[in-house]
Amino acid sequence: MATDRRNREERATLFLAPAGITLSAVMLFPAVYILWLSLERRSLIFGTPQFIGFDNYLRLAHDPQFWNALVNTVYFTVVSVQGELVLGLLMALLLRRPFRGRGLLYAIILIPWAIPTVVSARMWEWLYNADFGVLNYLFQARINWLGNPVWALHAAIAMDVWKSTPFVALLLLAGLQSIPRELYHAAAVDGASRWTMFRRITWPALLPLILVVLIFRTIDAFRVFDSIYVLTGGGPGSSTETVSIYAYKLLFQTLEFGYGSAVAVAILMSVALATVVYAWLLRRVSP
Amino acid sequence: MIFPFGRILLLCCALLIACDKPAPDSPSPTVSVVFKHSKLFGDSSAFDRLISEFELGNPGIRVERQTLPSSSDAQHLFYAINFQAKSSAFDVLAVDIIWVAEFARSGWLRDLNHLLPSGELTAFFSGPIRAVTYEGKIFAIPWFIDAGLLYYRKDLLQQYGFSPPETWDQLVHIARTIVGKETELYGFVWQGKQYEGLICNALEYIWSNGGDVLHERRVVLDSASNRQALEFMRDLVVSHRVTPDFVTTDTEETSRRVFGSGRAVFLRNWPYAWNLFQQEGSMVKNKVGVALLPHFPGHRSVSTLGGWQLGINRNSLHPEAAEKLVKFLTSPRAQRALSLAYGFHPTRKSLYRETELLQAQPLLGQLHDIFEQARPRPVTPFYIMISQVLQSEFSAVIAGVKPADMALQSAQTRVEKILAHGD
Repeated sequence: MATDRRNREERATLFLAPAGITLSAVMLFPAVYILWLSLERRSLIFGTPQFIGFDNYLRLAHDPQFWNALVNTVYFTVVSVQGELVLGLLMALLLRRPFRGRGLLYAIILIPWAIPTVVSARMWEWLYNADFGVLNYLFQARINWLGNPVWALHAAIAMDVWKSTPFVALLLLAGLQSIPRELYHAAAVDGASRWTMFRRITWPALLPLILVVLIFRTIDAFRVFDSIYVLTGGGPGSSTETVSIYAYKLLFQTLEFGYGSAVAVAILMSVALATVVYAWLLRRVSP
Repeated sequence: MIFPFGRILLLCCALLIACDKPAPDSPSPTVSVVFKHSKLFGDSSAFDRLISEFELGNPGIRVERQTLPSSSDAQHLFYAINFQAKSSAFDVLAVDIIWVAEFARSGWLRDLNHLLPSGELTAFFSGPIRAVTYEGKIFAIPWFIDAGLLYYRKDLLQQYGFSPPETWDQLVHIARTIVGKETELYGFVWQGKQYEGLICNALEYIWSNGGDVLHERRVVLDSASNRQALEFMRDLVVSHRVTPDFVTTDTEETSRRVFGSGRAVFLRNWPYAWNLFQQEGSMVKNKVGVALLPHFPGHRSVSTLGGWQLGINRNSLHPEAAEKLVKFLTSPRAQRALSLAYGFHPTRKSLYRETELLQAQPLLGQLHDIFEQARPRPVTPFYIMISQVLQSEFSAVIAGVKPADMALQSAQTRVEKILAHGD
């Protein structure tokens, strides 16, 4: 019996080995290598690599450009994810009841999510164009959407909300549909108002799913790169420079692989921290 | 079963040896020179003809052209990574003017001093020569030259009785006067987005006010003349109101379109825009003039240099053949042919006096004077890192995030840090 089980375990290991090796090669190795690089002074411009321990992280702590990027990123993440959640929830609630043309509306709502980000960013760049963009035409205004340091980050946030709300709506809709109808019937018999129903039935039932959605969206928003790269390239005055844009500039323009890796590790740590917080919240609200 | 490794290995060796032997009827083996460059030509037939001419004149050398992606970042990354890996996969390369010092310091380029003896040296514009010289040696040969210049609406200036501006204040005055009397017209458009183009623009104000970024190896960013220059750029938008606020999103192409649709009096751009303005169907055809960029009182005009140089990979396996190709492509003959075919601007001054070229490109005569006073961006191996700092700080001034003195102080310390790291 025992040998039989061991045989089976061995065989399972054997079958899993190719996947394990492949994953290690493409995921684990680069991750560990980035960690290693972040401890080196390695830059193609400066020449020979040199082990410097945690000096890169020390430099990070005193780098105003990094802190500016981090503040921008956190602001971008908090505002866009909140916007997406509120709008997504509203959309899901509206789409919950069957009505004529719901299928069509479904499909239309998903379009922004389906377009590749770079393509929609180009489109928004034209919409936002201060000289002959559609937005200024509609508002009869002369707002410098992408060139004003106050507007630019919000313009990028608006595009992110436009793009990602459908994703949030779709997931929440699935959650809404899994709430048993009977609960609402019972509440109606008890004379509960619609607001009470939402507060006492819908919200608690949806909360675990909302947290999952938040985890997804937060991770995604925190790493925002392509839309901002196309819209502003980080400008004006670095007012839209996010940590990913900063990492890109270090890794692909100034070729500071060591320091750039430290920034990448910092991004990873921030995302991990956010995930841990959400996971903890999730455990608390889950029945 | 025993696998006959030994025998197979032997067979392979025998085959290799057999293949390696040159065919008995070709006395000189053919060398293949690989030439890497960005996408420089729309229709490459004229360039291909030139290459065949070179191959005909140099039997035994074959040239293989390989095109790099059009993004400048991607090209820089490609070169850096391949050089770092000591690749010999390419021999001759087209180098952007801002990369030469960096590549030279890393020991990636062959010293080409002997290709330009002092007599030859003076045949070229001095700006590009400064850009390809690192620690007294030449590491690339200037191939094409580019520089910032002022486009103006000839018809409008004439109508209001102005001649092209010589100082920045005159430009503001002319622009304000004309814009005040016309509708739907901007005064002066340029490149103010946070990117390399902004540095090219900003340096022209800084230099034409006697300022600079580096002097010898000292950082001289935090100076009164630099502050004045940057404040003027900001003032163009906020107090003189001749430049629209969206200049903070403008690149070469977006500003070129504003001017090209007849909606601006002045434009700062590179020479490439000229042909597009003179094209059939252009709204400003025959209404455009070019001039040196203006300067501040008591100083002179300076344009920022751009352009391409030819260098040779230090690890090239065929350096002699590569040198022949570089010599050929930078010769008056090749530069003339490429100028006629593609409108490139030669780096050899003598070509600007040839009637054949002047007839084909009437602008060349004026460009000569502009190129004469053009300056390379700071020639330092750390230029790309310095530029990143300047892009962020200068953009902050123009967008009104920081006052000029604060931005310059911050830029001064940050650039000093970069140089301290490098030495």
